[in-house]
Amino acid sequence: MIRFENVTKTYKTGSVTALSGVSLDISKGEFVFVVGASGSGKTTLLKVLLREEGVDEGRIWVAGREINTLSNWRVPYLRRNLGCVFQDFRLLPNKTVFQNVAFALEVIGRPRQVIAAQVPQVLELVGLGQKARRLPDELSGGEQQRVAIARAFVNRPLILLADEPTGNLDPGTSQGIMTLLDRINRSGTTVLMATHDSTIVDMMRRRVIEIERGRVIRDQVRGIYGLDPSHSTTRGVPAVTGVNGVGGGAGVGSPTAEAAARAATLGTERQPVERLAAAADTGPRHRRRAH
Amino acid sequence: MPISAGYVARETVSNLWRNRLMALAAILTVGVSLSLVGTALLLRQSVNSQLAALGNNVDLQVFMKANAPAGDTNAIRTTLHETPQIKSCAYLDHEQSYLRAKQLFQNQPLIVSVLTPATTPPVFECTLIHPNEASAVANLFRAESGVYEVAFPAQSIRSLTALSNVLQIVLFTIAVVLLLSAVVLILMAIRMAIFARRREVAVMRLVGATAWFIRLPFMVEGLVQGLIGAVVAVGIVLLGDIGIGALLHRFAEFRSAVVPSHDVVVTEILVVVVGVVVGVVGSAVAVRRFLSV
Repeated sequence: MIRFENVTKTYKTGSVTALSGVSLDISKGEFVFVVGASGSGKTTLLKVLLREEGVDEGRIWVAGREINTLSNWRVPYLRRNLGCVFQDFRLLPNKTVFQNVAFALEVIGRPRQVIAAQVPQVLELVGLGQKARRLPDELSGGEQQRVAIARAFVNRPLILLADEPTGNLDPGTSQGIMTLLDRINRSGTTVLMATHDSTIVDMMRRRVIEIERGRVIRDQVRGIYGLDPSHSTTRGVPAVTGVNGVGGGAGVGSPTAEAAARAATLGTERQPVERLAAAADTGPRHRRRAH
Repeated sequence: MPISAGYVARETVSNLWRNRLMALAAILTVGVSLSLVGTALLLRQSVNSQLAALGNNVDLQVFMKANAPAGDTNAIRTTLHETPQIKSCAYLDHEQSYLRAKQLFQNQPLIVSVLTPATTPPVFECTLIHPNEASAVANLFRAESGVYEVAFPAQSIRSLTALSNVLQIVLFTIAVVLLLSAVVLILMAIRMAIFARRREVAVMRLVGATAWFIRLPFMVEGLVQGLIGAVVAVGIVLLGDIGIGALLHRFAEFRSAVVPSHDVVVTEILVVVVGVVVGVVGSAVAVRRFLSV
């Protein structure tokens, strides 16, 4: 679904190398966390996928199509396959929830009947069916992010890119957002999420790609947030879980025997989101407050 | 992908309304400048049709008395031929002169009705080697016996033309300066509209709206400003044309200066086209400079 081959990108202003020899392969339906310190190149990774930025070297494929050779007029069609969610929501303040989501379909020329059918459906999916007529200002942060996700997903993109979608949200609300992203992922959409949120990464136990100074230093199936880089730089490291998320210790903890033991007792066969919910029962509380 | 006309219309109207003061300034500037353009063009046509009616190449007309004896006429003819400043002369007798007068005064049936070939003065029409000597040469013949009147139409035409040329240059210069400021005003209006809608534009880019889908409402906004300004100008020019036309009709000698209505229509179409061009150029520059898609 997404393939990077030796991608290098340097911004003209400042000599920082945002991406340096990055090679990646992400299959359809995967859920991937991209982690790393601020300025490590996470956001650049998403930007080159969207062709917001070009690359200096290397090649990128999205859904079987090479995108860095794509002519400019085709870029919008590429972006229709890539839903986008940001830390700051980027909703239009003068439009209602419904209009915000409908806008995404309207501006790519979808007929009115399609909009009338799909928008309520996706609002139902994100749990905002009752709030279609509200303005973004009247919603909580979590709800606003749900609207943004609805807008990104309403066109059923192949890939959902999320740049720190929980960055502005409290932990409980973040869990709710992750539940939603997980549900979207299970419908077959590939999800690529850049994040700083160690709790969430450790809870979800999905593939983790860590970037440092533009290089991939770790690519781990069912990874955690803060693995000591010296432990492994290869894929397929056996699952190591963090502690249960509310404590937040997982973010900094390297895997210990204790953590591994706890992982065993939690049981790897359980779905990540269920574990998430079990670990931090804050989602419903958030929903009560929101109503 | 087809871009829905309804969408573009809605966006354009809401943009114009949101930015209405700026739009008004742009529209009025286009209107005033195009009024000047239209006026200058009509003035030129008016002068041209006046010239066509008077006959452009005749420097000197020597009208004989209607009852002048043939001897006088022959004497004048000889003198004309011997005058070194005169290049050539044509003689219109009673009949030819009558036909010409009938044509010249076709709009004034009263005059035509009292004319007969016998009462119409025969005329010598001459061209000069140096047209600016017309008045000096005219004085030579004014006192000759049998001469009724000496006129030098080309010279008055020339001064009329010179006056209208100066006027046209002044009008066009002001119009060009105003048109340039109209382009800049439209550019700024569109720039402000783009800035006001930067969030929408960002979202549109993100969800994959095509470049033209994003640009088109802004382009149409500029076009509409130019068009409305042009319509204002058309109104002003038409009113002026009707008013001045009515005035000219009162004076027989200026009646031929009235511009035929199909020429007026052509001028108005030209005004509208220029208005549209001004709008499109202004918004195209703004979109190019300030809208990244």
